Amino acid sequence: MILIYAGRVNWFTDRHWFLLAVIFYGLSTIYSVSLWRRGFRKDNRVNYLLLLAGFGCHVTAMGLRGFSLQQCPVNNLFEATMFVGWAIVTAYLVIGLVSGLRFLGAFVSPLMFFLGVFALMPALDPPHGPKPEFTGAGVSLHAAFILQAYGAFGLAAVAGLMYLSQEHNLKFHKLRAFASLLPPIQRLEIISARLLRNGFILLTVGLVIGVIVIGQHKDGYFTDVKVIWSLLVWALYLGLLVMRWKFAQGGRRFAWGAVAAFAFVLLTFWGTNLLSPLHHHP
Amino acid sequence: MSVVVIGLSHRSCPVEVRERFAFAEARIPEALQALRGAGIAEEAVIVSTCNRVEIYAATALEPGPAFAALKQFLLDFHAVTGGLNTELYALAEPQSLHHLFKVAGGLDSMVLGETEILGQLKKAYDLALQHRHTGARLNKAFQRAFNTAKQIRTDTNIQRGSISIASVAVELAEKIFTSLGEHEVLVLGAGDTSEKTARALMSRGARGVVFANRSPERAQLLAAELGGRAVPFEDWPAQFDRVDIAISSTSAPHFILDPPRLEPLMKQRRHRPLLLIDIAVPRDIDPAVNYLENVYLYNVDDLQTIADDYLKLRHDEIRRCEQIISEKVMVLLTPQNLRRQ
Repeated sequence: MILIYAGRVNWFTDRHWFLLAVIFYGLSTIYSVSLWRRGFRKDNRVNYLLLLAGFGCHVTAMGLRGFSLQQCPVNNLFEATMFVGWAIVTAYLVIGLVSGLRFLGAFVSPLMFFLGVFALMPALDPPHGPKPEFTGAGVSLHAAFILQAYGAFGLAAVAGLMYLSQEHNLKFHKLRAFASLLPPIQRLEIISARLLRNGFILLTVGLVIGVIVIGQHKDGYFTDVKVIWSLLVWALYLGLLVMRWKFAQGGRRFAWGAVAAFAFVLLTFWGTNLLSPLHHHP
Repeated sequence: MSVVVIGLSHRSCPVEVRERFAFAEARIPEALQALRGAGIAEEAVIVSTCNRVEIYAATALEPGPAFAALKQFLLDFHAVTGGLNTELYALAEPQSLHHLFKVAGGLDSMVLGETEILGQLKKAYDLALQHRHTGARLNKAFQRAFNTAKQIRTDTNIQRGSISIASVAVELAEKIFTSLGEHEVLVLGAGDTSEKTARALMSRGARGVVFANRSPERAQLLAAELGGRAVPFEDWPAQFDRVDIAISSTSAPHFILDPPRLEPLMKQRRHRPLLLIDIAVPRDIDPAVNYLENVYLYNVDDLQTIADDYLKLRHDEIRRCEQIISEKVMVLLTPQNLRRQ
């Protein structure tokens, strides 16, 4: 969105800021490759700073978009993806304050780069037409809760990937398992499970707000593709949590579940959004 | 005045020879006094550990006469008759300083890169310092050696990783479990290595240890020593819902644990991770159990391979360490530094 201040066109738009953020995430991804090869042993601070720089640009982009809309910027796929990414990087930057956990950035940056490149596709950010039918604090809350839930699911998937990598190395007696700075696999499983549980709570709250704010005023709410898809995702994560707590299906199966569930969300989120008249405003 | 060293170490002679020349700590000040009194050295430090006996001396004598006098001193002080030939090494500057720096950095140790020697060297130096048997030359040399050892430790991988079976097992447990304090260890059989491994795990905070041995007396003895409990050997499967680490070293001629036996036990454990360490030869645990989910099986060869890989990693670092040492020795021997000393 090109911003106009006092009659002057500002060519460095929110999208440009976001592009700059994605460039930082890309640099961080390149740097992460060397960190992976060195077993995360050195210079994780550089990676943290690269992600911090990306985060600064990311927040600026979100701020500009939010101020121009006068509401939480979660109205199209570009904004929603930007919001999910923001939740993920924020969580990492807080966790990364503990120097021993800073290496997690090597897992976060490729995810952020992927999300960023995807979000920048022009089709995902069409010019805003008439104001969406449903606006206001309730809708913003609904979107914010749900997108933060996806951020938590994303981080759970990252922890799941770390678990799978370390578990494989331990199973096959690789020296890499010993040389790596990754936390014990039991802790990785706990982190992944807690993120998943918190994400599930956020998703539940977000969906309930959606029903209260929008569902009561709109016919066909429960037949909307995105609403059905959201319920499916909710059931998927509920299943994962129940499997773990009730049937002790932890470990590798749970990690694969967290990774596969988030891959499903990533691959279908955008498509269902486009198919949903409630969530897509051409 | 130059720094020379003569000594015997695990590299030059067996323990039967080294023990005859070892200095009791209480007699070291007397020996240092005797060295200086006889005019052999102006300054001296004696290092006497289980792996080495060395005399570092700053002397005005030429290296040849200094070595002869120091050798004679060693023989006389310990009242040893008969010669010392290939067992003894004698080094003059700069090799003497190079050797001191290598010893401090753990490069001359039996376990490459170990840090215990640095503490022993510091203790030997402090003893000589306290009794005023050191001066500008040896003070500078030892302090630089300590600093260089610290630099080697931080800048290279010479001390990285575990290189004994017991320490690899502990490291392995720490890669699987969040905190050893929440996990109990089962020891099946009571071999030497399994006992060492259990001790290492306990010293790193394992919650407890259970011994199951065919000889109940031995199990009870070890349990009493390590603060654990002993159970009859036949009862070990019943322990599996409580323990998370099992070390096996029985003398059974066949597998005592295989997938059909472990699967129901894993169900009982609600699939909590289980670390199995099989130290027995022939093996006690069927390797197929490693294919069960949440089971991590390591046999003695797996652990030894990891220890060897770590050792190789350390050996690969020797050249970098030597380079650091050469640079530091060269700086120590620059004319400006020598003038200041």
